[in-house]
Amino acid sequence: MQQFVNTTLTGIGQGAIYAAFALALVLIWRSTRVVNFAQGAMAMFTTYLALAVIERGAPYWVALLVALAGGLVLGAGVERLVVRRVAGNEMAAVIVTLGLFVAFQAVASILFGATFKSFPAPVGLQGFTIGSTTVAFTPFTVFILVSVGVVLAGLVALFRFTNVGLRMRATAFSPEVSRLLGVPVGRMLTLGWALAALVGSLAGLLIAGGSLVYPAYMDTVIVYGFVAAVLGGLDSPGGAVVGGLAIGLGLSYVTGYLGSELVPLAALAALVAVLLVRPQGLFARAAARRV
Amino acid sequence: MGKIWPRRIRRRQALGALVASAALVLAGCGAGGRPAEGTSGGSGGGTTTGLTADTVKVGAHFPLTGVAAPGYSEIPTGTKAYFDWVNAKGGVNGRKIEYVVRDDAYNPTQTSQVVNQLVLQDQVFAVMGGLGTPTHSAVLDFLNGEGVPDLLVSSGSRLWDQPEKYPQTFGFQPDYEIEAKILAQYVAQNFPQAKVGLFLQGDDVGVDAEAGARRYLEKQIVAVQRYTPGNTDIAPQVSALQAAGADLVIGFNVPSYTALSQLQGLRLNYKPQWVYSNIGSDASLVGSLLARFSQGSVTDAGLLDGAITDSYFATVDMPDDPWTKQFDAIWKANGIGGELTNYRIFGMTQAYTFVQALQAAGPNPTREGLVAAVEKTGTSLQGPWAAPYRFSADRHAGLSGVRVTKIVGTGQQPLTGVMVTDNGDVPVTPYTAPEAIPPADGIPQQPAAG
Repeated sequence: MQQFVNTTLTGIGQGAIYAAFALALVLIWRSTRVVNFAQGAMAMFTTYLALAVIERGAPYWVALLVALAGGLVLGAGVERLVVRRVAGNEMAAVIVTLGLFVAFQAVASILFGATFKSFPAPVGLQGFTIGSTTVAFTPFTVFILVSVGVVLAGLVALFRFTNVGLRMRATAFSPEVSRLLGVPVGRMLTLGWALAALVGSLAGLLIAGGSLVYPAYMDTVIVYGFVAAVLGGLDSPGGAVVGGLAIGLGLSYVTGYLGSELVPLAALAALVAVLLVRPQGLFARAAARRV
Repeated sequence: MGKIWPRRIRRRQALGALVASAALVLAGCGAGGRPAEGTSGGSGGGTTTGLTADTVKVGAHFPLTGVAAPGYSEIPTGTKAYFDWVNAKGGVNGRKIEYVVRDDAYNPTQTSQVVNQLVLQDQVFAVMGGLGTPTHSAVLDFLNGEGVPDLLVSSGSRLWDQPEKYPQTFGFQPDYEIEAKILAQYVAQNFPQAKVGLFLQGDDVGVDAEAGARRYLEKQIVAVQRYTPGNTDIAPQVSALQAAGADLVIGFNVPSYTALSQLQGLRLNYKPQWVYSNIGSDASLVGSLLARFSQGSVTDAGLLDGAITDSYFATVDMPDDPWTKQFDAIWKANGIGGELTNYRIFGMTQAYTFVQALQAAGPNPTREGLVAAVEKTGTSLQGPWAAPYRFSADRHAGLSGVRVTKIVGTGQQPLTGVMVTDNGDVPVTPYTAPEAIPPADGIPQQPAAG
């Protein structure tokens, strides 16, 4: 029973991180129709920025702000300087993001070193005690859940209730028509990338907190976050969160009861099953645009 | 115009191919020519590639970059310092040792590539100390096919002890099975009531360690959990150990997972008696990984304090040990700056053994002679190690024993004397021979093995 509770709780914490990452993927997909494979590497990079700030003695919250701001700038920069050059060719854009993924990891190894480093957490890492047992639910898990909730609410509000969100969706759906209707398409694309990188940076910080980081630490999160996003339907923020939690819980049970060597296999099986049975994702409302 | 271009390109390609193949042929001649020169000067018959009248070239592959680099990349710096020390005093039988290290980033594909370079391009006489189980496995066939002596592999896998299949390859450190046997016997004797959990790396390391641990703890083991290297979320495994009621956990894992298991234990308020294999217990490395958490939630910086581990040669936390003193002097004279570390001592210890082997191979060594000398003198070699090697004509296994210790701060306190054993059902016994003392100038005087 105790193991079940703890496995479930760690699964929720881990799932929330996958959800945050999946949200970043959904954001960029909804606003630009590109799947950004460099998302994880960019998040890793801003996490290292935060670590550099912390190593200079600044408090965690300053580092958090630096990382988020860094994410905004990095996302906008990547869109303006790199992705825009291959605009109009979605496949090329995806391949470019793969290249960026490798490049960011290499640059991070050069700048920050390839060794494991510990990353602090802003709040306690010791689990709450219920009665006489300590459960795997820490103040930091609460922090993760709250952060993901805030981001989800923010994204839903942005896309559903604001003009900017509408313009971003229009841009992604049909750039030409949007441009004719007076939507500043270029600026919307940049904004989409910047916001997605910001959410990605947050996911990077959440997974790093109270653990170890190294240039490839986001690699597994990228894979599971991607599975989560597909599970929920790449179009749906709510779906991404549900998908993230489902993947987190599922993988936690697999590790706890079946063996950690089966985790990648389980994630892959989930991905294939979803794509076979319901390719538009569990939560997509209508069939996605067909090309 | 449209027709001329392709033809011209084709002609250019043909020319390029011709030049390339000519270069290959020339290179082939060069590579084939050099050993012949050497052979003429050496004793009849054997291969002397990499050997001249006044030099001997030794190669190694290490992760100098990448995730395995912390700690491990210091090993070749120690080896180099020791070889320079020997070279400054005239080398081995008048030959200076040239040490070539290539970076494989702990990636087996790169290991194949750099070992190819070492053998075919650098033309090394022998390969020594190549690090890592997955990495070195990738070059076993190649090195043995080429007849290159492959000494002192830096890994505790049992793969290196297959003399019929891999006659050129020799292990170095105590393999994980015997290390686990010795630790398990200590646990069985001193914690007979403990419920034991195993926390294992999900590869050969864990398989060998489990086999060893079960010899003494079969009845006490209540849970076995494995992790996949690269996946840093080990919360479910630690939860499972806790839920099974394990109050003593034996970990055969790398240092970063020692840190992660400690963090996870803290998260769950899970405080078993931790026992870590030598490979995962470098207290200063683990401590540096955990240091940042000590400012906030982790109140005790010395999380590893009181954990049980083992050691098999002098370490930096024993400054009065004559070998540590000797290595410190060598590091100060020939090192690249920075502190002497246990990883550097590891490298120097390998270099010391290599010098002994080269001396044993006589004044005119050949590759075949070197391998024969290691087989002949293997068990009798004396040096900084706690227990002897198991080298013979039909065994190529590394060191035979360890000393069980307890971590205190960043140092270690011995809990037992040196214990030795072997694979399978060989019992664990105390090793009683006196400790070797370092020779006056730090250079062994191994007589040639007749």
